[in-house]
Amino acid sequence: MATSSKQYKNVGEELWKGRSEKINAELFALTYGALVVQLIQDYEDYDEVNKQLEKMGYNIGTRLIEDFLAKSNLGRCADFREVGEVVAKVGFKSFLNISPTVTHSGPPPPSSPGRPLSNPSISQATAGSSFTLTLDENPLAEFVELPEEVLEGGLWFSNVLCGVLRGALEMVQLQVQADFVSDVLRGDESTEIRVKLVKYLEEEVPVGDD
Amino acid sequence: MSHHLFLLSPSDTPLYSLTHQSTKPVPTVTSPLASNLPTWSTSAFAGTLTALSGASSATQTTSGGAVRVGGGQDRHVIQMIANAGLDVIEDVMRKENTMYLKSVDKFNEWTVSAFITPGNMKFVLLHEGKNDEGIRAFLMEVWELYVKTMVNPFHTAHTAIRSGVFDSRVRGSARKYL
Repeated sequence: MATSSKQYKNVGEELWKGRSEKINAELFALTYGALVVQLIQDYEDYDEVNKQLEKMGYNIGTRLIEDFLAKSNLGRCADFREVGEVVAKVGFKSFLNISPTVTHSGPPPPSSPGRPLSNPSISQATAGSSFTLTLDENPLAEFVELPEEVLEGGLWFSNVLCGVLRGALEMVQLQVQADFVSDVLRGDESTEIRVKLVKYLEEEVPVGDD
Repeated sequence: MSHHLFLLSPSDTPLYSLTHQSTKPVPTVTSPLASNLPTWSTSAFAGTLTALSGASSATQTTSGGAVRVGGGQDRHVIQMIANAGLDVIEDVMRKENTMYLKSVDKFNEWTVSAFITPGNMKFVLLHEGKNDEGIRAFLMEVWELYVKTMVNPFHTAHTAIRSGVFDSRVRGSARKYL
């Protein structure tokens, strides 16, 4: 890898410190909490709320990536593994000031011959690779305690983060699936998001351009 | 020695109540009033009083195995004392500016201590004996725990507090200070 893990950490730190406008964490957590509660009241169906949170995150992510690339000045990632590193150490650090740990896992053994990749500059990583982010602190869920019916309903409180990851990575030609695996709010041991690469997106001509 | 804690909203709706049996030794307090009552008095009021003063230090075991505090046997009396204390609390509230109002009322051996939060929540504690510092520390901690509950987005303001975490933490705090 061209840039080491430690360098990414430093870049993340620098970006966080360099931000001139930061928001109060309590205000942020309370706002997000109020949003989730309102969505629950409006939709009354926890799966639907999860979907809406993910959609909102998607919209945030598509815009956030621009800000991120402009400030961080990082080049293309060599492989999906590096994507995971950058997301965890630079991305999360510069926006939320948290450093989740990354665990990578390769693709499951292919049952059919690997299809040729259209983008020659990305090396061998095949669809199906994934990485898991383990968040040891979650600023969105600072004061939250889920009541009984919410626990049973299957709400992923911080699902917006999954949407952000999907949106941001789609803008850099990576189609991924991001889901929560476990959440301390639900009583699990840790909070984990699994990001799985679905495929690389080809550079497409914008619709209506010809 | 037992303690009864009530958390009341500004409109005097009870949001949370707890009965705590203290394991700490208590200086025995004689209640002058009860001794003045002739034992043959059959008025309901006197009967209540003797039941209270006599029952305060007695604990009974129900068939269910749960330990019931003697005062809890006259739960409605406890409620009455707490409610009566509210008037006094409101009077004191208008005069003083502090949060912790020490003992605002006394009913035989039951003392009512109160704590008013900036959001006009009333924490009413019924207890026997004197334990100002402990009670003060306890009520401050209940306040902090209450604030943490209020910040939870899933909690609606001024509704009953049903959180298990809050309950266990208040019990722990009671064990520590009372």
